[in-house]
Amino acid sequence: MKKTLQIIDRMHKEGLFKKYAIGGGIASLFYIEPIATFDLDIFVILPESEEVLLSLSPLYDWLSEKKYKLVKEHIIIEGIPVQFIPVYNELVIEAVLKAVRKKYEGISTFVLKPEYLMAIMLDTNRAKDRERIIKMLDEAEISAALLKTILNAHGLIKAYNNFRKKFHEK
Amino acid sequence: MKNKPNKVKESAADYAAKIFKAKKDFHKEQAKLPIEEKIKILIELQKIVLKTQKQKPGEGLRQVWKI
Repeated sequence: MKKTLQIIDRMHKEGLFKKYAIGGGIASLFYIEPIATFDLDIFVILPESEEVLLSLSPLYDWLSEKKYKLVKEHIIIEGIPVQFIPVYNELVIEAVLKAVRKKYEGISTFVLKPEYLMAIMLDTNRAKDRERIIKMLDEAEISAALLKTILNAHGLIKAYNNFRKKFHEK
Repeated sequence: MKNKPNKVKESAADYAAKIFKAKKDFHKEQAKLPIEEKIKILIELQKIVLKTQKQKPGEGLRQVWKI
């Protein structure tokens, strides 16, 4: 993982993306007990371009030059299947911009804050997202004030209250 | 007449509540592990999942991290 994070940081420094942050299951791992997951999701803010459609081609070209292989929708970087996900809505953009620095074996990287992770999971709302939200509520140190601000700003407060009623009422 | 020991009997509900609390505390403690330790556990979990669970249709790539 250390080498993978070093490569991602190098891509950032070389300008392949403006900002990045670890999301998904691996980001959750920074806040809750280990859960099974197989890929490393990296949310990226791509450099502005004149093309209407954003393209991940420069990232994949750069990685394939370094002999990293594309398998299904992942690229295997130093033994880890990585998925680069361009930010796709205002919530995810804000989450990446406000990501926090974390260290792994001395390597500095960016990870989504737990409150943003929860909001994204609530928005995505797959079965595994719901499971993870419950774990976040039980195990992570969450700022209730920040979570409320995010949920209000992105129209998710009602969904959150319904979620609590259904799955996490004391 | 001998005095009977003053035993406090726990109800099944109290006992279960104690177990659930202990489990919750354990999960909270696990959550505090350093990320490096969690990644080691993750790799063991990946091995278990690959041995025990069939891949679901539409599920992405599943392989144990080679790190």
